[in-house]
Amino acid sequence: MKSNTLLAALAASTALVIGLAGHAWAAPVTLTYWSGFTGGDKQAYEDLIKKFNSTHTDIQVDYQEQPWDSIAQKLPTAIISGSGPDLATPDYNVATLQQYVANGLALPLDLIGTGQNQVAPGVLPQTVVDSFSVDGKLYAAPANFATLLLYYNKDLLKAAGIAAPPKTMTELQDDAVKLSNGQGQYGIALADNATIQMWPVLIWADGGDLISNKCSALADPKTVGTVEKWASLIRDKKISPVGSTGQDADNLFAAGKAAFEINGPWAAGQYRAAKINFDVAPVPVGASGKPVTLASTVPTIVSSKTAHPKEAQEFLAWWLSKETQAQLSNSAGYAPSRTDMATDPAITGNPTVAAFTAQVGNSRLYLPTEKDFSKIDTGIFIPAIQSAEQNGNAADALKSASDQLNSLLGCQ
Amino acid sequence: MAISATAGRWRRGNSRAGLMFLLPSLLIILVFVVYPIVQSLWMSLNDWSMFQVVHRFLGLANYVELLHDRRFWNALANTVVFTVVTVPVQIAIGLLLAIRLMRSSWWTVFLRSVFFFPVISSFATMAIVWRFLLSADVGPTAAWMRSLGIAPIDALHTPNLALPAIILVSLWKNVGFTMVILLAALQDVPESLNEAAVLDGAGAWGRFIHVTLPSLRQALLFASVIAVIVSLQVFDQVYVMTRGGPLFRTETLVTYMYEQGFAEYRSGYAAAIAWVLFILIMLLSVLQLRIFRYRDVD
Repeated sequence: MKSNTLLAALAASTALVIGLAGHAWAAPVTLTYWSGFTGGDKQAYEDLIKKFNSTHTDIQVDYQEQPWDSIAQKLPTAIISGSGPDLATPDYNVATLQQYVANGLALPLDLIGTGQNQVAPGVLPQTVVDSFSVDGKLYAAPANFATLLLYYNKDLLKAAGIAAPPKTMTELQDDAVKLSNGQGQYGIALADNATIQMWPVLIWADGGDLISNKCSALADPKTVGTVEKWASLIRDKKISPVGSTGQDADNLFAAGKAAFEINGPWAAGQYRAAKINFDVAPVPVGASGKPVTLASTVPTIVSSKTAHPKEAQEFLAWWLSKETQAQLSNSAGYAPSRTDMATDPAITGNPTVAAFTAQVGNSRLYLPTEKDFSKIDTGIFIPAIQSAEQNGNAADALKSASDQLNSLLGCQ
Repeated sequence: MAISATAGRWRRGNSRAGLMFLLPSLLIILVFVVYPIVQSLWMSLNDWSMFQVVHRFLGLANYVELLHDRRFWNALANTVVFTVVTVPVQIAIGLLLAIRLMRSSWWTVFLRSVFFFPVISSFATMAIVWRFLLSADVGPTAAWMRSLGIAPIDALHTPNLALPAIILVSLWKNVGFTMVILLAALQDVPESLNEAAVLDGAGAWGRFIHVTLPSLRQALLFASVIAVIVSLQVFDQVYVMTRGGPLFRTETLVTYMYEQGFAEYRSGYAAAIAWVLFILIMLLSVLQLRIFRYRDVD
């Protein structure tokens, strides 16, 4: 009996030792993360991943950057076939998330709460929660969050005798006319395609919209009035080149040939490098009387085929922590993805970040849940704007676009 | 009889060995050429999406939708205009260059390299450079025109000029290829034919029409078939320089197919466009072979 007890104790202690050793020697879980951040903010993301990997022994992230086009072509089939990543940013257009959710490729986040390893929807901007949720379940966490501000070239404004950036859209239009000389200098660089959306901001500012109550608002008099006004200034007063892409507009501002541009925080680095004496101001208030700007966010999803859903969500919780968000904001200029950091010294200490953060409450996402995003944006809205700019037929172009949009949305 | 049996065994043995040598290539062709073609045909008959494993069979519905799709017809028209302009001009300039640079000297060798350089460069990279060069606001061409007191033309953003601008850049890129093909063929034209034509009293133009051009028939056929295929598949320069704009004036079949496949994720519909393109290329290639009276002896 005594020997049996001894043997049992020996076996138990051996098992305990083996168990403990096994736990101590367990290889860390490696999460693969496909991201499309290959631009100026690339380094900021890489630094954060390095920080995560150096502070976590149980989870390591294999961070793989690739162009957005490449992700669009590979990610859906990679997830379906089980060879995809654990985490991914599917697209910079938020609406694409709906396709992943509808087809079961994104996992609903279930580690929700305010704990250290939990994602807390309560601290995220409401517009993000609304766009990332389907049937009350959150399917993604924001990889970033940005708002747009009005960049202005201080030297050009000073030379034109303009003391301060415009506060209203009427002032912006007047200043833009004053700053355009018809000799290659433009009042504003206003892009209409392959860009972060600038035209919707102008439309929203005057109380117009693209879609209202699930039907087209393109033929709404407010929308038509805004497009007519800006398109005529572009055509007749040459305040901006016609048909610019985002890159064209950025190049123009970076060359000191445009006085204003509506853009996000990612643009600041290249303007500093180009030695442009610039500053940022809130987007001027339009006829609606309410401040409004565009929000931009990129969702990070957890693949439905991941073998490590818990660890993936732990990573997302870490990503959304105050410390991580403060570092991302200060290195890339983004507003933090949390709404409870506006008065955080880490944010207020950086005037540029603080300026972008101050606009979070006024910001809206562009067509965030439209499953036909590409059809609406590339196939309907952009051609209507370009037609108004090129041909001066805003009302007709928007009426035609509105009919197409209503047909797509199933509205009469 | 014994000799015949031995010869039969030898032939069979040779056939087997031949097949074994062919097998690796056949496998590669089957996996990377035949299978994707058949698969794309099947995709075009389904509501195929990259997001789904099971796809709804549609029959010819994607093709019927194409018939009523204005953007498809616009893209087809742009592609045809691009091809109809590009191919003859490319062949004509290529032939002219080949004739001018036929004699070998350090200068002609240098010029041949200059004209051939765009062929070996990446079209996407060159398109970025051309976009900058043609920019009416920040490009060097605009600065140069302004210095001469001429208002720069914003070709890439002007609906009527965007496609001609793309055509010019495409010619710049591809004309060197045609030149090299025709140059090689020109150097193979027997001198005796020209001498005989001279003896018969033919002038320079007569020799060109009756000796040079017929001798170049195979090379011209090859160059034009390739030029048509490349033109119908135009993508890189459009995607980089205009993205199909402004107002879809430069949208081509392949850029539209790309948008349907990877922006709207309608792989089945994109495959239907690919099949229309495939049939168009096949028909035009057959037509060219007939026009050039290509025979097996060629």
